Amino acid sequence: MLINKETCIDCGICVSRCPVGAIKTDAPEGIQVDLDECVECGVCKRLRMCPTEAIYQQPLTWPRTIRSLMSDELVVAEETGISGRGTEEMKTNDVTGRFKPGWAGLAIELGRPGIAARMYDMEKVAMAVAKEGVEFEKANPITSMMADPKTGKFKEELLNERVLSGVIELVIPLEKVPAIISRLKEVEPQLDTVFSLGIISKVEPDGTIPHVKVIQDLGLWISPNGKNNVGLGRPLAKED
Amino acid sequence: MTHSLHRVGTRESLQRDWVMLCMPSKDINHVGSGPKLRRFLELCLKNGCVTLGDARKGNAFHQGSLENMMNNIEDRAVVTASFNNKDAVIQMLRDLKEEDLGLSVVVSGLVDEVADCCAKTGLRHHTVHQSLGRWGRTEKLPPEEILEIATMCGHALVAVNFINEMIDEVKKGKMTSKEAADELFKPCMCGIFNTDRAAKLIDAIVAKG
Repeated sequence: MLINKETCIDCGICVSRCPVGAIKTDAPEGIQVDLDECVECGVCKRLRMCPTEAIYQQPLTWPRTIRSLMSDELVVAEETGISGRGTEEMKTNDVTGRFKPGWAGLAIELGRPGIAARMYDMEKVAMAVAKEGVEFEKANPITSMMADPKTGKFKEELLNERVLSGVIELVIPLEKVPAIISRLKEVEPQLDTVFSLGIISKVEPDGTIPHVKVIQDLGLWISPNGKNNVGLGRPLAKED
Repeated sequence: MTHSLHRVGTRESLQRDWVMLCMPSKDINHVGSGPKLRRFLELCLKNGCVTLGDARKGNAFHQGSLENMMNNIEDRAVVTASFNNKDAVIQMLRDLKEEDLGLSVVVSGLVDEVADCCAKTGLRHHTVHQSLGRWGRTEKLPPEEILEIATMCGHALVAVNFINEMIDEVKKGKMTSKEAADELFKPCMCGIFNTDRAAKLIDAIVAKG
């Protein structure tokens, strides 16, 4: 995103609206977007608060296009056909059967909440967990940014791109969760950002949530709130 | 994606924070899903949702009006709404069971409370996604009380600086907490920023001085 300095009156109203603090007030030409920091989320323009409509979208070309893909919620990813940064994951598990009994999903969302992330941090985490022989979710746009999904190595030209967040998604046997957590603990100190971690499993017929014991045994905190697919989708996946 | 996971808060505060989502699955039941998704949102309105939105086309502010938003819902949309009480969620589940839209529905909230809602409506939760918290350079994060507001837009489109600015405006008496919450809702395109809870959290921050 850019600001047209011929019409901008330097009122500064846009500065606080930027989720990543990329609109700077200390540039020689007054209020200006720091393009290296800007994640192309579109919030500043979409809020329509600029009194002179000086904020405009410059044409985006590869590799910068991944910034809007991973930051602007209204951009539809080719891989998923849906808006947003993730996939259908557990939200449609009642009809897809993607997460089966005995399996867990892990969603490692780099940059969230609100700190943003460079792709080189994404690569560090992907390469760390890839050592456990995991398969990354093919439908996730992050996976298509990898040069080698077996190693978690990303395409070189993407590494310095900054995005609001990106989700590294895995589906693994439940017993493999401790090994992945261990890899995340190893790589955590090497990061220059935060990540939010989520775990998914299919509820057992007696109401037990299988991942809870695994996480408790690891001594990790688990949220009391979460997303619950309530099984209303049709047709139900065959295993049901 | 709903991004209704990772909402931060005390159990008491989260008891007033529910998100419901409805979406089709690609190549399974997405064809002709648009009118069903619209029906889902109509039920949300009927049951007194706090906010609502369409993650594909944006919220009512972005689309100019609620009417535009409802009319623009496409087959591959993901529609969402926030609620501030359990009774409304239970009634939603009853209505959805009766309507039998055949689309996947996700309820975000306290997991044991959602299980209870399901039990009361003859449903059971099928798959659960829980947060294991925030890792890495957590010292970069804002204070917990701000994070409680910010994480209600899971796509992180509600800027921390914007939240702080709105709180200051309320402190100065220039706007009410409700008006501040309504302003903060605008960037949340999928409409899951619970303005009712946000106003209460702002009130609590302002009361502390």
